[in-house]
Amino acid sequence: MKTAQEIRVGNVIMHGKDPMVVLRTEYQRGGRGSSTVRMKLKSLIANFGTEVVFRADDKMDQVILDKKECTYSYFADPMYVCMDTEFNQYEVEASNMGDALNYLEDGMQLEVVFYDEKAISVELPTTVVREITWTEPAVKGDTSGKVMKPAKIATGFEVAVPLFVAQGDKIEVDTRTGEYRKRV
Amino acid sequence: MWDIFCRVIDNHGDLGVCWRLSADLAQRGHQVRLWVDDASALRWMAPLGVQGVNVFDWNDCLALDTVGDVVVEGFGCELPQTVQARIAERPRTVWLNLEYLSAEEFVERSHGLPSPVMRGAAQGLTKHFFYPGFTPKTGGLLREADVLTRQHAFDPNAWRRSQGLPDDKDALWVSLFCYEPAGLLALLQSLATASRPVRVLATAGRAQQALAHAVQKLGWQDALPDQLHIHPLPYLSQTDYDHLLWSCQLNCVRGEDSLVRALWAGQALVWHIYPQEDKAHHVKLDAFLDWLQAPASLRDFHHAWNGMSTPKALAVDLKTWQACIQAARERLLAQQSLLEQLLEFVSGQHNAK
Repeated sequence: MKTAQEIRVGNVIMHGKDPMVVLRTEYQRGGRGSSTVRMKLKSLIANFGTEVVFRADDKMDQVILDKKECTYSYFADPMYVCMDTEFNQYEVEASNMGDALNYLEDGMQLEVVFYDEKAISVELPTTVVREITWTEPAVKGDTSGKVMKPAKIATGFEVAVPLFVAQGDKIEVDTRTGEYRKRV
Repeated sequence: MWDIFCRVIDNHGDLGVCWRLSADLAQRGHQVRLWVDDASALRWMAPLGVQGVNVFDWNDCLALDTVGDVVVEGFGCELPQTVQARIAERPRTVWLNLEYLSAEEFVERSHGLPSPVMRGAAQGLTKHFFYPGFTPKTGGLLREADVLTRQHAFDPNAWRRSQGLPDDKDALWVSLFCYEPAGLLALLQSLATASRPVRVLATAGRAQQALAHAVQKLGWQDALPDQLHIHPLPYLSQTDYDHLLWSCQLNCVRGEDSLVRALWAGQALVWHIYPQEDKAHHVKLDAFLDWLQAPASLRDFHHAWNGMSTPKALAVDLKTWQACIQAARERLLAQQSLLEQLLEFVSGQHNAK
């Protein structure tokens, strides 16, 4: 059993009789220490999605799914194709990829998640290293890391980085929050 | 029949909002049962009660036979399993969680969303999150239909006399309802040098304590500066708190309910937001100031008042601030009130069942 705030993108929870994959989560602090989690869900067995909200400490059962270490191979619209070490291919619908698309690159290591033997989503490592493809020029001397500026990685995903980070630098990004962690 | 559940966390805000919602519902012909774990503050908050609202001790809900057409849990107070079981027995009941007020963007994204109940006696049911807010895509703010009419007909001088306050038409009247704001000393120093007398009406409880502490720190305990007068008030009913806000040119408010009332009052206001760990309230305050389109002077004052910047000499710009608040009030008046939206929401849910 997990609390709502422990549920991650790619996890599956039951919504009524439907197993639903979590495509997006948004944690929000409310008033007086209370917090909520908004989730975007998609059914694994029927073609519908929904948005729900929970108190952060609401308890729920996570459906434990099979996972397999794979490598992202290629995109065959609308499916993302991953391959395991025995060269078996698994297709994941684009609409089930969630925030993974922000970091996806050829040859990337990830876990493919299965429900009823069907590949239904992917889970990323907690952090990934990506090259900055665009940002404003670095500001020398400012190493505080407190003032941030926008930067983009190859997928076009925007990350807030400290002023000293330059185009071409490699940075570590937290895939759970989309936040910059450090320059590599 | 509405069942509204409220747990008092620390101050009076949760109960204040739940009572106001209950009273507003009753005035529109609904029957309300208000279940609260500590109703003592209602003795001064609503001494006359309201016909149609019955207040019950929280523990009595454990023996509840049946729930009403609508169940509202105030601010995520968790309902006992026995109550959840009663909800499960009555499928037509609409179950809502009334959330805290915030001007942050997530409120628009989360307002009205379902929340499947995953555990316990109500497993399989769905409640909905209802978010108050400042924009049309949120649940709006509590506003009785006649609030502006009553304010228009209000005589501040007569009310002040009824409270035993001096008849001082030339004074700047300031209401003070706060926790322990970082900028209180600086404000008092600023008010002490005003070009006209300043009369601070301090609400009972923490505001008076904070004020006494500040006065002592400034070394004014034996004699206040000539221009400055402090009037401690008794605990006021919600009705008289409105009167206080309508009587003052600057309203220092705190928490949720008094902020909303000060917006309807349309006078210059300063908000002492409920302080939270890890400074989550800073984001919330800035979101409110953004929505308010607060001028720089009002924004700076708020930051100093709430300890987000170092309090220095705090300049009060009444005219500009009042214009800002009145413009905000106009935007709010163009929107449906919280109760109007809530009734529509409930009606829609009932129709869908």
